[in-house]
Amino acid sequence: METFVQVLIDGMLNGMVYALVAAGLCLIWGVMDVINFAHGEYLMVAMYVSYWLGFLLNIDPLLSVIAAGIFIFILGAMTYQLIIRYTIGKPGLVALLATFGLAIFLKNFCMNRFSPNFLILTDTWLGDKTLHLGNLIFPVPQLVAGLLSLVVVGLIYTLINTTRFGWAIQATAMDRDAAELMGINTERIYLVVFGIGGACVGIAGGIMPSYLAVHPEVGSMFGLIAFVCVAMGGFGSIPGAFIAGILVGCVEALAGFYIAPVFKYIAVFGLYLAVVFLRPKGIFGW
Amino acid sequence: MTHRSPRLNHWIIFLAVLFMLFGFGPGAGSVLAAEKIIKIGTIFPLTGPVATAGQRCQAAVQTAVEIINNKHPEIKVPLAKRAGILNGYKIVLVHADSQGKPDVGKSEAERLLNQEGVWALIGSYNSSVSKPASFVAERMKRIFMCGASSSAALTQRDMNYFFRLAPTDKTESIEFVDVLKWMNKTKKANVKTIGIIYENSEFGKHAAEEAKMAAAAGGFKVVADVPFSPGATNLNSEVQTLKKSNPDALFGAVLGADYSLLVRTMKQMAWLPNIAINYCSGYQDPVITKQLAGDADFFMGSTAYSPQFASLMPAVAAVEKIFKTKTGGVPFDGDSIQEAVAMLVLAQAIEKAGSLDPDKVAKTLYANTWDSPLSLGGKVAFVKGGQNIKAQSIVTQLQGGQYKRIYPEEMADTKIIFPMKPWGKR
Repeated sequence: METFVQVLIDGMLNGMVYALVAAGLCLIWGVMDVINFAHGEYLMVAMYVSYWLGFLLNIDPLLSVIAAGIFIFILGAMTYQLIIRYTIGKPGLVALLATFGLAIFLKNFCMNRFSPNFLILTDTWLGDKTLHLGNLIFPVPQLVAGLLSLVVVGLIYTLINTTRFGWAIQATAMDRDAAELMGINTERIYLVVFGIGGACVGIAGGIMPSYLAVHPEVGSMFGLIAFVCVAMGGFGSIPGAFIAGILVGCVEALAGFYIAPVFKYIAVFGLYLAVVFLRPKGIFGW
Repeated sequence: MTHRSPRLNHWIIFLAVLFMLFGFGPGAGSVLAAEKIIKIGTIFPLTGPVATAGQRCQAAVQTAVEIINNKHPEIKVPLAKRAGILNGYKIVLVHADSQGKPDVGKSEAERLLNQEGVWALIGSYNSSVSKPASFVAERMKRIFMCGASSSAALTQRDMNYFFRLAPTDKTESIEFVDVLKWMNKTKKANVKTIGIIYENSEFGKHAAEEAKMAAAAGGFKVVADVPFSPGATNLNSEVQTLKKSNPDALFGAVLGADYSLLVRTMKQMAWLPNIAINYCSGYQDPVITKQLAGDADFFMGSTAYSPQFASLMPAVAAVEKIFKTKTGGVPFDGDSIQEAVAMLVLAQAIEKAGSLDPDKVAKTLYANTWDSPLSLGGKVAFVKGGQNIKAQSIVTQLQGGQYKRIYPEEMADTKIIFPMKPWGKR
């Protein structure tokens, strides 16, 4: 039983990080109907921001999350302004291919500037610290990342559901033309949504160098899992993406331990397929 | 009868001269021949999860070519004292990136041989890439020199043009089991069970198969068989599975960033076996070792070279000086040095054969024992299938960030620390 709980804890903590990565993607997808293929690469760039702040200025990732969040907010807003804006109203494939190109550009840019070397931050505040509760182990970096995820997702949910700006986002997501007729500046909404989406993944990436090596390929798998979370949770549903993230983390951990480690991603993508077949709109989709 | 205008004639002559000058005309072949160039293709993972290792391998081949093409009297390796081979031929490298993917490696091999017209190939670090890429070379009757790929299956295909320098995972598995037997005999280590963690690839799966066979032959019980997907977001389930089985010894076939993730996850989960031995992997990577700092200590692995082997291989130092200029100061490791040896041995064979006929050079490679001061045993000799039977490696243990020689005993420079020091007491 104790092992089961430990595996579940590991799964939940990883799942909460997946949820934070997925929340940003969900927002962009839900509001703008744009599939951002560069989402995993945003994560990777945020990790580099955090790493270099730690390496050059000795700023701990726990503080760098703010800088990483702001940096990726700006990157997201620039992506909208310079690329996505020109794809709105065109077939969905145009934006998809544009962000795919951006993903390749970001990956190769980082490879060129920082080499493909694996960069590890040592002596961070969270480092390899663990909390022990009886025989249960809570890795502190993942625990903090999980709590951060909870806070950020909660803030975004509150922003969207209880503020005038959030209502404007919802209105734009439902019907852009009608929203414009109501006086909403949808261009600005899109710009800010892309920025907020980026900031979410930026915060996740900012904390990760506490426990994960940074390299140009690091975002790929996280990006893929974020897509699964968004599709499973329901397009545009932030709570859906959050619960799907935790579900993915738990399924991954339980399948990896109780079936075989090599099955953990098979189980995740199997579950995704099952949801797509049984409820194509996702668990919380509408 | 129509006459061309003098202006048109001038243009025709001008274009003809231009074509001849840049080698597009009938004389193109002879211009290339006059330059005396041998094009050799390299295929390494220059991007992707094991790119650091791939880039070092490429730098090693470049280092060897620099030595072959130019006079280096200060370097004590064959061909260093003169410039070029075969009376003035220079080697020109054409590089390709496999990304660590078999399909990309195969298509790059086809491109290098068909479009770039390379004479031979060197590569590809990942066994899973070396396998299809060397099939392409074999089909086209071109030599494929393989430095570091360790899957024993590569040299069990009876190919005629494939030559591999590194020890295989079969010999390494037997060596690892020998270490455990030696520990039980001399240190009363009481090692009975083994866990294996490996990436789910050609290299990892084959290493695990060989490990299981060697363990069974040595009387050890494999209690945990843990494959994982390379580039995973976490290795929690994998380490939990190992922790639950709690083997006395752990064999690892884990490359690149996955190795650092494995070590860190083991630390987070507060688990260590008594002894952990790695195939050619992230363990050998000096960059990862440096970044893991104290956490990397007390792990073990097979090593064909590390700077701590300087007393055994005095010729390496001068070569390593050139290598370091290409890697930003990072020294050779056990994998990259094998790629330099691959290039040097191929050049020696071309020189000895006195010909650029691949058949003659391949026969010469088989027929001779080659001096190789950059190899641990000092010699290279190939048997049917292309395996270097003189390949050697030493089992080392990281102590204070240094690869200390542990086994065989006669080559040891320090004593093994057993069991591994617990995470909390480092």
